[in-house]
Amino acid sequence: MPKVEAPVEKWRGRVQEVRLGGDGRKQVTVGGESTLPFLHFDGEIPHRPVIAAEVLDMPPADWAENVVSAWGDALKSPAAWAKKAAQLGADLIFLRLASAHPEQGNTSGAQAAKTVSQVMEATDLPLIVVGPDVAEKDNEVIVAVAEAARGQRLALGTVTDKNYRTIVATAMAGGHAVVAQAPMDMNLSKQLNILCCDVGLPKDSLVMDPTTGALGYGMEYALSVFERLRLAALQGDAMTAMPILCHAGYESWRQKEAKAVEGVPVSWGDQKVRSLLWEQMTALTLLQSGAEIMVLRHPRSMDVVRGVIDRLMARQGPVS
Amino acid sequence: MIVIGECIHVIAGTVKKAIETRDKAPIQGLAKAQVDKGAHYLELNIGPQRRAGPEVMRWMVDTVREVTDSPLSLDTSNVAAMEAGLGLCQGKALVNSTDATEERLHNFMPLSAKYKTPIIALTMGKGGIPANADARLELASNVIFPSAAEWGVPVEDLFLDPLVLTVTCNQDHCQESIKAIRYFKMMNEPAPRTTCGLSNISNGAPAEVRPLLNKVFLVMMMGGGLDSAIMDPLDADLMETIRVIESRDDSTPEGELLIRLYDTYVAAEQFDTIDVDVSLPGLRDIAKTIDILQNTTVYAHSYLRV
Repeated sequence: MPKVEAPVEKWRGRVQEVRLGGDGRKQVTVGGESTLPFLHFDGEIPHRPVIAAEVLDMPPADWAENVVSAWGDALKSPAAWAKKAAQLGADLIFLRLASAHPEQGNTSGAQAAKTVSQVMEATDLPLIVVGPDVAEKDNEVIVAVAEAARGQRLALGTVTDKNYRTIVATAMAGGHAVVAQAPMDMNLSKQLNILCCDVGLPKDSLVMDPTTGALGYGMEYALSVFERLRLAALQGDAMTAMPILCHAGYESWRQKEAKAVEGVPVSWGDQKVRSLLWEQMTALTLLQSGAEIMVLRHPRSMDVVRGVIDRLMARQGPVS
Repeated sequence: MIVIGECIHVIAGTVKKAIETRDKAPIQGLAKAQVDKGAHYLELNIGPQRRAGPEVMRWMVDTVREVTDSPLSLDTSNVAAMEAGLGLCQGKALVNSTDATEERLHNFMPLSAKYKTPIIALTMGKGGIPANADARLELASNVIFPSAAEWGVPVEDLFLDPLVLTVTCNQDHCQESIKAIRYFKMMNEPAPRTTCGLSNISNGAPAEVRPLLNKVFLVMMMGGGLDSAIMDPLDADLMETIRVIESRDDSTPEGELLIRLYDTYVAAEQFDTIDVDVSLPGLRDIAKTIDILQNTTVYAHSYLRV
């Protein structure tokens, strides 16, 4: 056999490294790659993609039975839930303060701060904390959380182009990072990064949420946006170079294909299998286009995705 | 560079109202102002005007004729209105426009031939927005040229328009438009002429960056072989840019940079912004805009702030 030299791409840019987690507790660093996902022969991949377990501050109302039963009683308290997620191997906790939504309980900033403190006592994993996606309530609860967790370097969200000043300023004051969400458009993701950095947020304190589409629901658009952001970053565009967060869990589990038990063709098969495949296929596909933080719901999906990451990260050095 | 003044356009509120009330003053004011600033043609865009097309066009032409004898660019999809306007212009007009569809060519090429006026032809066919420069060239050579020959419109009376798309949504198309202009100029001897709707490039961008995008794109397009543009002659900086390029006035740092950019595009090369003196804010902003239009950095509304 003749020996073939694998062509090696030389990139000018590098993904921004972002460190999450506080002093004396577990820390996680994401980003830093100088190549496309898992192409170890092309460049460096100093940190593996990480898995964040999605945790709510109230028992979920509309989650599928099989994901509810997988977590069991832990769902009743965010601290117990986070602790179980840590035991099951999550790298991060993605805590959604759903109860602060005006129609879900309208809980206060003080309550949010208390919840976050309890979760931090239950586990020493780094935290991503987002509000209920209602601008005013997001600002109220995130300001309180940032203060309560000063020095713990959380990622706070969700920052959007309509609502970024308060959360960004709060994050800067408390030494935290932010999660910045743009509606599945590379130019708008970059624009939001510029806006955040323009008010003084350091580039190493920003995680991009370019919006996720699940399998069958725009996954290929998300893949294309992630990939183009990553290519632009590697070509040297520092304002597209922030690590990418992907909501494979949330987006998959809200689709009919993941939830429907009755009234669907027999050929769709068992919902318990189908739902997991939906979440896992979405996650594994989007990992290939540059997601660094994969937010998942089902413990089994966390296992499967972690196993694939293990194998993809093991293939270091030149292809032989 | 032939400047086709874009300001008399039915989309503009003042123009729309002036047409509805047959109020001459606003139209005449815009006509005089554009001619004073150096427009060579005045665009009269009346829209489709389904009900009273010919009457509206005649009124517009007469109104403008009272204050200037500048050639006019008659812009309507209404064939009867177009012919009514051409009838009053004695050849000092431009048909704006046909595209590369059978129906439009069949409607407007005969008028261009009959009234011996140049015609703008958009390289857009039934398939909608052309994918790249090659697709634009193909439409020009396989559809527009044969139609012009069929109806007896000389090649030099064709103003081919590559259809400029917005940098905000179609960043990769900017260079395709320039490439298309370059192809058009190589199609024939004598070459067809070229034009574009310049302001399209910056449509959707914030007001503070639009003039800069228009200016830098114009210089690139001129380097590619652009003969004319439908543009805003009241934008003094844009008109000054044309003067700088045409007179090769490199007495200012900006002039020097723009002429280098122009020459690079004449040579059909990419401009490397690495050598630009970014300590001068004006030059820094131009360099960033060049990188955007060359698609080497990703467009964002606030790209100047990075």
